Amino acid sequence: MTILADENSGVVVQGITGTIGSVQTKLMLEYGTRIVAGVTPGKGGQSIYEIPVYDTVKEALLEHEAEASILFVPASRVLDAAGEAIDAGIGMLVIVSEHVPVHDTLRVKALAQKQRVTVLGPNTPGIISPGKTKIGIMPGNLYRPGNVGIVSRSATLAYEIAGNLTEAGIGQSTCAGIGGDPVTGVTFVDLLKLFEKDDETSIVVLIGEVGRTVEEEAADYIENEFLKPVVAYVVGRTAPPEKKMGHAGAIIERGRGTAESKIEAFRHAGVSVISRPSQVISCVREAFRERR
Amino acid sequence: MIRSSEELRELSSKFSFPVVLKAQVPVGGRKKAGGITIAQNQNDVEAGVKSLLGMMIRGCIARKILLEEYLNIEREAYLGVSIDTSKGTPLILTSSEGGVDIEEIARIHPEKVVAKTVDIASGLSEDIAAELARRVELEDIPLKKVVDTVKRLYEIFLKYDALLVEANPLVMTTNRRLCAVGVAMTIDDDALHRYPDIACSDEVRIEDEIERDARKEDIAYVRLDGEVGIVASGAGLALATVDLVKEYGGDPANFLDTGGQITQQRIRACMEIVLTNKRVRGLVINMYGGINPMVEAARGVASFVREKQLRMPVVVKVRGNQEEEAWRILEEAGVTVVKSIRTEIAIQTLMELMRK
Repeated sequence: MTILADENSGVVVQGITGTIGSVQTKLMLEYGTRIVAGVTPGKGGQSIYEIPVYDTVKEALLEHEAEASILFVPASRVLDAAGEAIDAGIGMLVIVSEHVPVHDTLRVKALAQKQRVTVLGPNTPGIISPGKTKIGIMPGNLYRPGNVGIVSRSATLAYEIAGNLTEAGIGQSTCAGIGGDPVTGVTFVDLLKLFEKDDETSIVVLIGEVGRTVEEEAADYIENEFLKPVVAYVVGRTAPPEKKMGHAGAIIERGRGTAESKIEAFRHAGVSVISRPSQVISCVREAFRERR
Repeated sequence: MIRSSEELRELSSKFSFPVVLKAQVPVGGRKKAGGITIAQNQNDVEAGVKSLLGMMIRGCIARKILLEEYLNIEREAYLGVSIDTSKGTPLILTSSEGGVDIEEIARIHPEKVVAKTVDIASGLSEDIAAELARRVELEDIPLKKVVDTVKRLYEIFLKYDALLVEANPLVMTTNRRLCAVGVAMTIDDDALHRYPDIACSDEVRIEDEIERDARKEDIAYVRLDGEVGIVASGAGLALATVDLVKEYGGDPANFLDTGGQITQQRIRACMEIVLTNKRVRGLVINMYGGINPMVEAARGVASFVREKQLRMPVVVKVRGNQEEEAWRILEEAGVTVVKSIRTEIAIQTLMELMRK
């Protein structure tokens, strides 16, 4: 098993008739993703790449079985579209849309928690289990099947890390993006918990960046409960500090949130920390050797 | 609120002394930076306004001065509504001590700060509001008044898509009045379009001219001090590129994230923005074809390089969907293309060209 999704997972595409939605649907189909239906309000009855389009997720699920939905809807429509998918009984949402208002994300998260729905994003590349399925926008040619799990906030930086591993002949089990926004559905800890139980994942690479405190929380979890080796890459070491209003941010973060604090937390948890993407290859190889 | 000494003159008869002058800047730590003064008489006010207007406070210029009633303060507390970004919920913070040293207080005496998350779906409960209000510890103020203030701040937070609404200090005056003396508020940029009447113009809130131009094009750009220009498709990749330029002994001129909808026009705008900074002597463009169409991106880069007849070295790294077609377009335009997955190699290539 890989985490969150495999070749049997049925997928709905919300916003399938939009420019990005249709291009990405084609790319996912080419990768082998089992897309069962698309949804665009007002376009029900059409089809695109032979995928039937419905007005609502509910109508789509009357005809098809699906575990996941991927959203390419405009930012202002995300709250409604996500709410609709959650109500219809979808188990996992992949919200690709960028620039979603933070309060809308807070509301999506509250709805999802009540119904025990997993949310990746907003602003996520989604998830890929190489060779099995891709519910996301990542370029499939940079990935290959294997035993390294990848979790990331950034999309394109995750492609770079996966691409480095792939070119060195090291494949991946599942690569998932939590999303680049200040608030996201799942966080690193949620995904690490799944990787801990996943037989196909031997090592995890975590890609973090300056801001938020999800890396520090992951480091805490790794130190106390996570048994597999972890390699971490944290970017934003040379970024100037952000100008902020008020004091609440500083009170909440208590000195966390900087690249230094994250790197320090990972080192303290026994995680190998790299400073260049290509170093991931030697670190992962070493971790494999030590496991044997 | 005044914008000039002339406006002050028109106002002169309408206030009594002493009066407090507060420089208006969108950044914290204003008082410690000397942005607040107290005036005892007309001369003080004029001198104060003169020195505060145009003052640079932590990178922001004060263009407005707020004149406020002077209060005799007995106690300073803290009340703020923000977001717990890990749990993904609103978070209300109170402290029985507030003022300019609140961060210090929170660090040394964390027990004085109370933080409660709020379920955004069910709302702020009476119990939680009351507990937060009690912990403000302004016993001489009726509790209901403090509870109402907590609730009102939370309502404002919701109503305006705020990332922060903060009363610091929340004070009790010597005659037992409850006042929010310093109020700071941040509205989510991605929700600002919902409040056109209160959004202030970019001219007022962004000091750097290039950053302002980038903002108009919806491009995330931050000017840095060096000479290596950077365009990257994605914030994380852009941060990594900045770090790596430094790691290889270069000095980055900027951070730039193209965002997820590259068109020929957009990539050209990105290059234009980076090159507006005249210190730039070389440019690295680092892109992945995931959601972004690389053929469009390559065409944009190629046409820009041709039209502007750029003399400085430009190195483009493109991988992912459509990579081969993109390489061909770029090579035909005479652009240096890095086909490796490694950003390290793109940067080393550029640095070498820049040394020549």
